Amino acid sequence: MKSSLIRPALALALAAGLAGCGGSDKAEFTVKGTIAGIVYPGAVLTTNGMEIAIAPPATPGALVNFEFPNKLEYGDVYNVQFKSFPEHQRNCGTPTNVIPNFNDTAGRLAEINITLQCSVNEYVIGGTITGLTGSGLQIANGSTGGQGEIAVPNPPTTTPIPYSLPARVPYGTSYSVAIIKQPAGQVCTVANGTDVMREADVTNINITCVAAPS
Amino acid sequence: MKSSYLRAGAALACAVALSACGGSDGQLYLGGQISGVTKAGLVLTNNGGSDYAVPPPPTGTGAGEFYFPNLISTDDRYNVEVKATPDNVSKCTIENPSGRAAYHVYTVYVTCLLKTHPLSGSVGNLKGTLELVNGSDRVVLEAGATSFNFKEVAQDSPYTISVLRQPADQTCAVANGSGVVGGPVSNVSVTCTP
Repeated sequence: MKSSLIRPALALALAAGLAGCGGSDKAEFTVKGTIAGIVYPGAVLTTNGMEIAIAPPATPGALVNFEFPNKLEYGDVYNVQFKSFPEHQRNCGTPTNVIPNFNDTAGRLAEINITLQCSVNEYVIGGTITGLTGSGLQIANGSTGGQGEIAVPNPPTTTPIPYSLPARVPYGTSYSVAIIKQPAGQVCTVANGTDVMREADVTNINITCVAAPS
Repeated sequence: MKSSYLRAGAALACAVALSACGGSDGQLYLGGQISGVTKAGLVLTNNGGSDYAVPPPPTGTGAGEFYFPNLISTDDRYNVEVKATPDNVSKCTIENPSGRAAYHVYTVYVTCLLKTHPLSGSVGNLKGTLELVNGSDRVVLEAGATSFNFKEVAQDSPYTISVLRQPADQTCAVANGSGVVGGPVSNVSVTCTP
């Protein structure tokens, strides 16, 4: 008899205590963070029924702060996703050296601070090489766009052989592929070596080699 | 009897091998990271001792690890200095060059800055807007321009200057547009016709 009275009384006290904690003073959390590397417009982030558009910063690629308008309550799960990527930047997500933090429970950490990053689409540049019989041919794309030596095909062939440069080129960046060292006993020329990268691999930078004039 | 000879022999061989390692017969590595080392020529010393010619990292990126061939002992003081730099480097600096060894030392960071050189040339008879590129570096020239400058480039880097956009009603040709940078480059010449 005695214990049956104590139990409801405890429950009542507990309920009163909980109500005292709360009402409008509940802990609230803002979903916010930063995105690095944005260059082009078009990014839209979404979570918990909210959407925000991210404009590119004045300095391309500079860190952009974002903040969703409505706050979350303790225990709400958020999962920030790209509803759309920036134009020409389909690689967006958590940087490789950061533990993913876009999907978590509000209140597990004192503050929500999501780290995201986008990079400009990059494509391979290359083409075919025809008639190479001498060794030592070296090609380059400017001073920082990578360089490579092209080996003589073995067995020798007159069929065009595909090749590509070691470094990719981002969308909107210029490239100028040229020969920096001719192969032994031959002169090679480059066709279509210079242009600005679009949204596709470049496969028309064709190199033709002939015997050097004696 | 036989085995005791063997043991003495082994001990002797061991001692010889250890002394061949040289220096102070320690058991701790002394080293760390290097960057900007794209060719041979970096020479480091520890406490002014024997030279260690650091090989360029095999990756070709200029960055990697290095360790002195001579081991050091616990409580040894070390002081790493740059005695010589590769000829394509303006200078090398060392972070955490000195200290007292408690364990293997992995914290000596040697950073070498590659020399850079101007990349420039001349233009003749330009009557419109011409855009030149060296890979990702772009330069726009207006009618009447007689010279151009690209961003400075690191020694031993290639350059490949060519025309991205021709002026209206003209065709410009680049001479001496590609090569490898050994010093300041100023002989690139662009001629426009008609």
